[in-house]
Amino acid sequence: MGDLYSGTDLFTELDRLQRQMSSLFGGLPSSLRSSRFGTFPPINIGATDDTIEIVAFAPGVEPSKLDISVDKGLLTIAGERVTRPAKLPEGTRQYAQERFSGSFRRVIELPQQADPDKVQARYVDGCLLISVGKREASKPRAITVQ
Amino acid sequence: MSENTQIAQSHQGANTRVEPNDARRRVTLSPAVDIVEDSHAVTLWADLPGVSKEKLDVRVHDGSLTIEAESVVPVPSTLQLSHAEVRVPYFSRQFNVSEDFDTSRIEAALKDGVLKLTIPRRDEAKPRRIEIKVG
Repeated sequence: MGDLYSGTDLFTELDRLQRQMSSLFGGLPSSLRSSRFGTFPPINIGATDDTIEIVAFAPGVEPSKLDISVDKGLLTIAGERVTRPAKLPEGTRQYAQERFSGSFRRVIELPQQADPDKVQARYVDGCLLISVGKREASKPRAITVQ
Repeated sequence: MSENTQIAQSHQGANTRVEPNDARRRVTLSPAVDIVEDSHAVTLWADLPGVSKEKLDVRVHDGSLTIEAESVVPVPSTLQLSHAEVRVPYFSRQFNVSEDFDTSRIEAALKDGVLKLTIPRRDEAKPRRIEIKVG
């Protein structure tokens, strides 16, 4: 008998957690140019003293079909991913289709100190790594006390 | 002094026993997959960005197929993350494989972070057209 009630408790708990999570993420303001989670490719952004590092998790994309551009402080990653032939051969059954297929575009607002002339990109194991240099003036400096 | 040592030892012992449990409980991402089947085999593609051949583990045991992988992205060590949509570097997903597949002949290929698995059907399980005799 006790089990029945503890089970209900677990669901209430999960329900409460889910509501809490959605209010947490839903309540945060997001940039006009970046939509919420679940877009392709997912992106992580970080910074070092000298660079801004952007990682786009875009497996299975032909590097020649990737288009990276910087314009007015906006970094755009666009491309196309082809995961399957347009028409499956006859007698083939599809059981799952979860992977993103088609063209994509993601725009990242670069911080003020980013230098558009110092952008490097490489594609490793399905991850697109973009490194944007910072302007000299914005690098951290130790200030000598006189 | 000697008492202290003993406590430390038993503590270590407890730790090693806990570790495998922790590994199993660690948070993993479920990779997106495409699965198609034709008369010869089932083919599965899984998105595993940042995973190299060395960090990928595909296992078949007791009718279940397990894909486990770790994503390693070569970024500078001084990196401070400011925005993260991928928060965990571990992938894990499990599938049941029924008896009519020949798990000894599974083929696996990894390219640009996409794993392709081909799981052939056993010969006796391939579809056959059954002749109908007119009596």
